[in-house]
This record gives sequence, C-alpha cells and structure tokens, in this order.
Amino acid sequence: MVFNSLTFIAFFAIVLAIHSLPLAWTIRKVNLLIASYLFYSAWNPPFVILLWISTVVDWYAAQGLVKAQKPMARRAWMLLSVIANLGMLGYFKYGGFLLANFTALLASLGVVYHAPAPDIVLPVGISFYTFATMSYTLDVYLRRALPARNFLDYALFVTFFPHLVAGPIMRPTELVPQFEQPRRAKRQQLFFGLALMTVGMFNKVVLADGFLAPVAEKIYDSDKIPGALDAWMGTLAFSGQIFCDFAGYSTIAIGVAMCLGFAMPDNFRFPYAAVGFSDFWRRWHITLSSWLRDYLYIPLGGNRHGPRRTYAALMGTMLLGGLWHGANWTFVAWGGLHGVYLSVERWLRKRFAGFRPNVWALLVFGLITYALVNITWVFFRAKSFSRAWVVLRGMAGTNAKAVPLLGTESLVVVAVIISGLVITHWLMRNRTLESVLARAPATVLSCTWAVMAFAIIATQGNGNAFIYFQF
Amino acid sequence: MAQPVPERDIPDLRWGAILFAALIMTLLMLGAWEWHWRAYGVEPSIANSDALWATQRRRIDNGEGDGATVIVGSSRLLFDLQLPVWQKLSGQRSIQLALEGTSPMFALEDLADDPNFRNGRLLVDVAPELFFSGFALRQGVLKYTRKQSPSQRIGQWLSMHFVEPYLAFDDPDYALPTVLARQEWWPARPGMHSPMPVRKLMVVMDEDRASHIWDKLEKDPAYAKLAQGIWAQHLAPSPDDPSPAQLQKTIDEQIARAAAAVAKLRKRNVQVIFVRTPSTGAYLVWEDKVFPRAKTWDVLLAKTGAPGVHFQDYPELQGFWLPEWSHLAERDAVRFTQALYAIIERDIEHRAPASIARTRSPQGE
Repeated sequence: MVFNSLTFIAFFAIVLAIHSLPLAWTIRKVNLLIASYLFYSAWNPPFVILLWISTVVDWYAAQGLVKAQKPMARRAWMLLSVIANLGMLGYFKYGGFLLANFTALLASLGVVYHAPAPDIVLPVGISFYTFATMSYTLDVYLRRALPARNFLDYALFVTFFPHLVAGPIMRPTELVPQFEQPRRAKRQQLFFGLALMTVGMFNKVVLADGFLAPVAEKIYDSDKIPGALDAWMGTLAFSGQIFCDFAGYSTIAIGVAMCLGFAMPDNFRFPYAAVGFSDFWRRWHITLSSWLRDYLYIPLGGNRHGPRRTYAALMGTMLLGGLWHGANWTFVAWGGLHGVYLSVERWLRKRFAGFRPNVWALLVFGLITYALVNITWVFFRAKSFSRAWVVLRGMAGTNAKAVPLLGTESLVVVAVIISGLVITHWLMRNRTLESVLARAPATVLSCTWAVMAFAIIATQGNGNAFIYFQF
Repeated sequence: MAQPVPERDIPDLRWGAILFAALIMTLLMLGAWEWHWRAYGVEPSIANSDALWATQRRRIDNGEGDGATVIVGSSRLLFDLQLPVWQKLSGQRSIQLALEGTSPMFALEDLADDPNFRNGRLLVDVAPELFFSGFALRQGVLKYTRKQSPSQRIGQWLSMHFVEPYLAFDDPDYALPTVLARQEWWPARPGMHSPMPVRKLMVVMDEDRASHIWDKLEKDPAYAKLAQGIWAQHLAPSPDDPSPAQLQKTIDEQIARAAAAVAKLRKRNVQVIFVRTPSTGAYLVWEDKVFPRAKTWDVLLAKTGAPGVHFQDYPELQGFWLPEWSHLAERDAVRFTQALYAIIERDIEHRAPASIARTRSPQGE
C-alpha cells in the first residue's frame, strides 16, 4: 500500500480510529501489528511470509545471543541473522543480477550459457526491513542494546507500517522503548502529524510525480540525444524528483507515526545546501548513512587503522551502499563516485586543515557539491551506462546531434521548482522545520496548508509507487 | 553507540484553528475548481483507468469468457459501439476492452492465449493508423492487470464509488500539471517539434466501460475545431515517420501477428470479426493515402480468413456525423451499433466467414 492512495487514506482513518479507542495497551499494539501486516500484504500477500521469517529468525538469534556463553556461540547466532537476512536479500534482490553477470562472465570466457529467466519479484521494502532486523541482532551482539522484553514489541518494531517499506530505517533502541509505554497522540501531535503528512504528500504527488518526473523521463527514457540545456534540466529535474519523492515519503511516515503517538527521526535535513560530501551524507537519507557507518564502515576499520584502510573502508561502504540501492552496476557507479568524492574531500581537509572558508566560499563549495551530486544522479537515474554517457556528454555540451527535447513549459517549471528547492535548503540549512513554523503567523500556515492540500487533490496523483520502494 | 529514542518538537501553535481554517479554504478552492470545469462542460464520469480495464479483463477469468462477446480495439470501437444498445439487441452485456490510442494486437494475442475465452465472439476494431502500425499507447495495462495488488483493487473500488461519480475535475485532462502545460502563453521552443496532445474526447458512463464521445465536441464548434487541428498536426509529415519500406514491413508483421492469434482463437471456437470503424474528412484522406485498403484491410482478411465489416461497404454505415473526423456523435453511435449488429447477424453469423468481405465492393456495392 502506498501512502499516496485512497486505500491508504481509508486504512489510516480506520487504524487511527481503532487506536484511539479506550482499549488495553497490549490490545492496541496487537491492532497496530495486524494493521501493519495488512498494510504490507495489501501489496502482495504471500510476501508477508518473508517478513515473518526475518522477524522470527532475528528474535531467536537475539535470544540465543543472550543465553550463549562462548564467543563462538555468540558469533554463530549473529551469523545466523546475517546469513538469513542477506540470503533473502541476495536471492530476491540480486538473484537475477548475479545470474546475468555470471552468464556474461562465462560469455567473456567463450562459454555460451543460456540461463533460464529467473523472473524473481522483488518484495517491497525488503532492503529496509532486513536492515532493521539485522540491526537488532547486531546491536545485541555488539552489546549496544538489550533484546526486547517481549515478542510483540519486537515484532511491532520490525513491522510498524509507517517505516516498514521505505524507512526511516529505525533501530530497536529508537522504537522498542516507545512500545513499552501506552501512547496516544495528543491533539497537537495529531494536527501537526496531519500537517507533516500534507507537506510530504505535496512533495511526492505535486512536485515529484506531477511536475518533475515527466521532465526527467523525457531525457532519461528517450532514445534521442539531449543537448546541454536539456541534459542539465532533465538531471536537475531528477535531483528534485528523488528528493521530493523520498523526503516526501519520510515526512509522511513521520507524520503518520506522530498521529499515532510515536516519534521517528528525521531522514533528511535540507541536503542540497550541503557543503561537501560528508555534510551531504549527514543530510541525505540520514538513517541509512548512520546504519552504513555503524554496521559497515566501522566494522571495515573506519578511521582507526591508518589512511589507506580508511579510504578502503570509505570506498567499500559507498560501493556496497550503491549496490544496496539496486541490482545494477549503474548504482555501484553512483556509490563509487560518492566514495571518490568523500575520499577526495577527506584528503583535502587534511591537506588544508587550517582553511576557514567565508560565507561566499561556503556558497561556492555548496554549489560545487550540488553540481557534483547531480552528476552522480545521472548514474542513479539512467537505466544503462550507455544512456548515462549520452546524458553526461549532453551536460558537457559535446553531443553532436542533439535535438531539443523539453518544451518551454518544462524548462520554466524545472527552473522555478529547483531554484525554489535549493534556495529553501540554503535558507533552512541550520534550522529545523519546527523552529520556522513556530515563528510563522497562523494565517500564513493555514493558507500554505490549504494551497498544498488543494494542489495535491488537483494534481490527481495516480498512486505512483515511491522510488525507494524498488530498493 | 545505540541510537536513543527520538524526540520530536511540536511547534507551540493553535493547530486546531490552523487546521480548521485550512480545511475551509481547501474546500472553497476545490469548489471553485469544480465549478470552473463544470462551467466548461465537464461532467463527472468514471475514469478510463488501467484499473477499470482490469475489472473488465477479469470478467473473462471469472467465468464469463465462455460464449462472451469481447471487444478489442482503439478509441473508435470504444466510443462508437454502444454497449447498452448491443445488450438490448443481443441480450448479452459485452466485455469492452478497447483502449484509446492503442492497437488491439496485444489484447488480441492475450485473448488468443487465454483458454478461458472460448465459444464466443471477438470484435476487433481496425483503425488503420493504430492497427497496422502496432502503436499501443496503453499496452502497459496488461502488465498492470496481472500485477494489480489488492491495495490497487480497493483503491479502484473506492475511487469508482466515492470520487469519480461526484467530481468533474477528477479527469487526467484537468490535472494541475496538464492544465498548466497546456496554457497558450508558453512560447514554442525553436527547433522543437511538439504536436499538441490529444484533448478529452470521451465520457465513460458505466463501470463496464460503456462510453461515448464527449458532447462538447457536438455542441462546441470551437472545441471540435481544436480536436480536428490536433489530428491535423498528428497527420502532418514528421521527421520521425518510417520510410515506406519500413512501414510495409510493420504492416506485414501486424497482419502476421493477427493471423496467428485468429488461428488460435478459431481452435477454441471463437469467431473473430474485424470492424473498420468510420472516419471522415482529412483523417480518412490520410488513412487512405498511408494505409490503402488494398495493402492493409484486404490483406488482413485474406491472411486471417476472418470476416470483416468495412464501413465503406455498407449503405447503412454511411452518413454519420463525426465531429472531429474520427469518432461518431453519440446519436449516430447508437445507429452505428444497431446497423453493425444487424450486419453481423445477417451477413456473418449465418454465412461462411471467409467469403463475406470479399463479396462486397467499396461504397456498398
């Protein structure tokens, strides 16, 4: 079930009403658990079994970890969790990719092998909930957290529908304690939660799907050759689309959880105002960045074993982070580019350790960061390297047979939305949405809320899935 | 470090009052938006969505495929064949699977491979531009149908019962980005060939996709002229047009695909009837020039061995009003349906299939 659908509106209204009934806390948690399974199975019922497997394996693995005395036994329980989760992820997400690469490898060696088409359906959100459940077992293994006291709280942590299919990737320590005490949203929470849901829907339905996605499609899904203007505008459109889509989802998820009385962490902090790439990753998909830092970068050595190991850990983390996004080498290239950017930035920071940029220099560095991020988006959006090169050559102005692909209206719409987006990110760079809203006049807030709600309905979104569902 | 329980600030404002005011303003804006489109002539109707098509396609899977009359094609048979009239004549509610801007080939092949469809009749709309080019604007509908989730089915049901029958603006033609993009103030970009997209032409009246032309095309000459102008742009030569040899290859491929599908359907006792629906004006002139009957329609019937009804062959299929050259006015669609039914019953149902079309010469003998 996607948030931007009539089905979800009906579902959420029912869940909210039931959650507000004066029932025992355990019963209300059971209701939320059932609702979450319904939410997931409304997409493809059989795949709820995978969710159960992931839940049960990690529950028993964590229980085993607590009881195990010997390090070997503890490691075995931890590996059970990692193998079960990565095994599922590997089969469903990377099965076809691995087979295609194996076939290509054999072909390069002169061996002709026609593999049967695997036709594996990717279960929605598998990348998110496997990471969430693994973090539970890994935290217990690393003695960062105690296991949940009861299975219901733990199962609800894994399955809680606001974050289930596309994050924010929650840690057990963030959510399980919230299930231990009765919670019901106060009026202020409920209304502010609804406001956040509206902001998220506006981002997704109006900006991402309504205005920006069609422009990106005209450049990336076409077989025609774009010139510099079209290639840049198509890529800028995608930069806006991916942000509005994913940040929109996260904002709705936070709003939904808030309406039910729960708190979820920010997943985005105005990333297009980032100065440098370490700053960018502190602002973009924050819960994934911190997950990769805690469970991949640091175990790979982090920055504790000298520069070489640090750069290797950075590159390894970003390459795997890229692959996490999708079973395609273009995603690996995207992650690799970010790894290179982070490494170069790290080197520059050491080389020019005493440099303190003024405001204008910060602005220039910020714009350079944004431009370089856009170049990585080409690999993220293009379905093949050949199309990525066509767009990149277009951005460099070196496409010989370029034709205009975007009409004036598309160019203007992208220019207006992206300028507005980037300027907003810069204005909000060191602020939070809440702090700005707290100082805004009520009339302005009402009018803005109404315009957003009207635009959402008048745009008539067709229930497009969020981009990150495929990951 | 374990992540702590997150804390979220709630701005200290009168959120109840803010929400209430926002709600009132939203309703006012929506009311004005609805009023604007109703004043333009739009009435609420069922959305011609992929989900609606899926409900009709599933009728075959759910037991109605044995002995059913199914319609595949493009917008012409979708608008022109009036399901209630056909039902009155045949006693059977047909399954309407025609899709605008879409060759029926994918649906024809899908039905040919579906054992649930047997002992029935299949009317295949032949709009030359689409049928013989294979262009399929909405081919994705089949994939959608096969992968439709329970959530999408529920959403379709909710929309069809609680939204679509009440809101005129709930139509893709009047979505905010579409309305903005179609404003006349945008200057044309030099060197860019971008014909105007097709405007709203139809109204879906019922859950079973019973449709007809939008009456604005009949009542508003300026709108009909706009629609004709859009067709004229689409019919004008374009650098993207295939060469004559490429086009002929495509035509041959489409006919071969149709012949293979018809052969499969015949084995399951499904009678396939091709219908060349009426067109007129510049559209017909263009069709005759680019897709001449001798190289398309006649070859199709010969290769498939299936009967066909070409509107030019029957006096009772003449004299219709097509406000924008391609689709019948609603009243004439009723007469067309009655005449088509009578022709099929008289000339095809009781005669050897392959001989029918060949016994006719253009313009009704």
